Amino acid sequence: MPKLIIDNIEVEVPAGTTVLEAAKKVGIVIPHFCYHPALGSVGACRLCAMKFLEGPVKGIQMSCMVPAQDGMVVSTTDDEAAKMRSLVIEWLMTNHPHDCPVCDEGGECLLQDFTVAGGHGIRRYRGKKRTFLNQCLGDYIEHEMNRCIECYRCVRFYQEFAGGSDLGVMGSAARVYFGRFEDGALASPFSGNLVDICPTGVYTDKTARFRARYWDYDMAPSVCPHCSLGCNTIPAARYRELLKTMARRNDAVNGWFICDRGRFSNSPVNDPERPRHPMIEGREAGWDEAFDALLFRIGELCELHGEGSLAVVGSGRLALEGSALLPQLAGLLGAGFLCYFTDDGAGDRTATAVSLLNTDNAASMADVRASDCIAIVDCDLLEEGPMMLLAVRQAWRNGAPVLLVGEHSPLEQAKAASIEAVQISFLEEAPLGLFENPVVICGTKNSSPAAIEKLARAEARVACLLPGPNAFGAALLAREHGGTSLAAAVATGKVKGIVAVEADIPVELLEGVALVAAFDWLPTEVVKKADIVLPTTAWTEMDGTFVNNEGRAQRFRKVMTPGLPIKGLPERYHASADKPAPFHPPRVHRKEPPGGDLRPAWRVIMDLIERLGGEKTEEPLSGKLEALRDLDPEGEGVRIWEIDG
Amino acid sequence: MPLLTDTKALLLGFWTTWKHIFRRPVTIEYPDEKRVPYPRFRARIVLTRDPDGGERCVACYLCSAACPVDCISMQAAETDNGRRFAAWFRINFSRCIFCGLCAEACPTMAIQMTPDYEICKREIMDLVYEKEDLLISGCGKDPEYNFYRHAGIGVVNRRGGNPDEEPPVDPRSLMP
Repeated sequence: MPKLIIDNIEVEVPAGTTVLEAAKKVGIVIPHFCYHPALGSVGACRLCAMKFLEGPVKGIQMSCMVPAQDGMVVSTTDDEAAKMRSLVIEWLMTNHPHDCPVCDEGGECLLQDFTVAGGHGIRRYRGKKRTFLNQCLGDYIEHEMNRCIECYRCVRFYQEFAGGSDLGVMGSAARVYFGRFEDGALASPFSGNLVDICPTGVYTDKTARFRARYWDYDMAPSVCPHCSLGCNTIPAARYRELLKTMARRNDAVNGWFICDRGRFSNSPVNDPERPRHPMIEGREAGWDEAFDALLFRIGELCELHGEGSLAVVGSGRLALEGSALLPQLAGLLGAGFLCYFTDDGAGDRTATAVSLLNTDNAASMADVRASDCIAIVDCDLLEEGPMMLLAVRQAWRNGAPVLLVGEHSPLEQAKAASIEAVQISFLEEAPLGLFENPVVICGTKNSSPAAIEKLARAEARVACLLPGPNAFGAALLAREHGGTSLAAAVATGKVKGIVAVEADIPVELLEGVALVAAFDWLPTEVVKKADIVLPTTAWTEMDGTFVNNEGRAQRFRKVMTPGLPIKGLPERYHASADKPAPFHPPRVHRKEPPGGDLRPAWRVIMDLIERLGGEKTEEPLSGKLEALRDLDPEGEGVRIWEIDG
Repeated sequence: MPLLTDTKALLLGFWTTWKHIFRRPVTIEYPDEKRVPYPRFRARIVLTRDPDGGERCVACYLCSAACPVDCISMQAAETDNGRRFAAWFRINFSRCIFCGLCAEACPTMAIQMTPDYEICKREIMDLVYEKEDLLISGCGKDPEYNFYRHAGIGVVNRRGGNPDEEPPVDPRSLMP
């Protein structure tokens, strides 16, 4: 452990740490562009100069390129180093265009920050600025090459970290150009990270182009709901519209990045078709009226078809708070069936996977990244959890062989991340025993319970990809409370009424069901067919908890106030309802945003429980789950096994 | 002697009033008579146009960020040729304190203060000015400045066609 002194502060760091990282550890941040914790250093930007006063190297050095060594005495405030940094930033700015007001990066731009930090204000160089032509990089990413400062972060991420092959660096001298060989959409499923990783505005989010500035965003720590991996995100909203999603660092889960599905799937939250009011038989109603109607109809149903003809259905996308209250609701309603999964297979496969995992054998994405042999069993990671593929690539870059097992593991996924994988037919053929740290990754979409059970015998840690962000939590609760799948319940012929809480149910299962009530925020088929609809909030509009595929409970915070987005607000909410809606927000005052009277699913369930005479509490998590109440949304999350004891 | 000091104080008061009867008043008979403020007087805010007649405002959100009372709001949008503009722009003059920080923050000289101080309305919503109420047809101060002639993003001129820019380079060229 080398010990060195930086600005009179003594610091001890592990061997191999650079001086830049050592300085960061004691809170000294030196401007830097090319260094990124996930990508390492290349010494390309020349900005992180420090003066080495004593020790094995002396003089002005790039701190990101010098490993910390014993006896080093380093100064960041030395005049010579500060001068060097101010000249470098001035030189980086000579060709940078004068377009911050029309650049989406403005306000969240590292170049802006470090230009100010370097003390550069007025351009002294009077020569002309170099310009480039831009490329069209598809529907998600905007390219503006004039802003480039040649830090090489984008190609290093795209080619080395993510294994993309269609974005590279071309040209020489002052013509260095980062882009594709020709115009076209970026092929990598992780291309959206270029937006986060570019220190200036070369790559910006096209879906949120010109919509808001960083200081205006409604932001909160959140968790991605688009697969079971539970990557940490920061959604950003403005004027009740979810504009974009950024990656949030969590070293135990996603690391620094997220996939394009998680980043660019913001539109469902802003969908004008979303249920915004409680509905009874297609008619808008108040909450109390809808609750009364629902309970009356359920009473009627029980009288007609007898007790136990009702099924209460949850899902893998319903947050843990709502899922945990379902058994109580089912009990009070006298429901015969409590279902956490819709179709038989998915429920069984998830249940098998969840019962297989325990605190010792469940592999997180961090474990996958550190693994030395990976077998992907009956799983298309691009479909079931793209970030797992990025984790697999990091292991492969460190020399771990990657095996694709079974006919449902297509080679395309390996190609998408430029991984050289070997296809084999059976897991038994994989020489997992030869390695110290092997991981088996298994899907639940095209697998079978028997195949998943076999993983327990493999001498490796296991990562299962599940259907939905809280599928793990749903499966745990299903096991504890004896839940069945809806398909099995319907097959008994007893189900005459369904209460679907954020559940996607195929239309066939709804046939012959007399009463369908849907609590949902998505305009699903069930919502369209339901007799009674109670609108719930999306995950960005509430606090909640998801338990990801490795049993890690993670808290997400409310990002935005629910309500119809100001953009495209219908005429009837404006001052003159008979005229076409103007561009500007309404010129009338309201106490609450239009279409904003939504409640989180757990709150709707709790309100129902209260009406049924159950005990009302403000804390949906009780019993064993009580330990999750104070979960830190910015922490690494808690494995579900750690709270049991 | 309280009687003496009281009389003195009384007479002094009357004497001061008497003196002021013959002075010129500092007030004027507004609204019959109006003062012309200095050109840099800070009153009603306008949005100006560039010398080519285009809207100067690029909706960069800097004025709304600078505004200490949060009376400015807007939404940026993009035209087909890539020009960024304000889809809507709203200043709530019932909140504005006329501090001028917005005009100071404006990087395109779009938002400017005028000497027009007569903003009174009976209805408070009438003090909420929309873009059509704010946009004037002239340049105001800095009549020569057009942001897009310096921005380097190819809206007014083609890319690399502004006076301080080189034409676009060919990254595939092998010339040194």
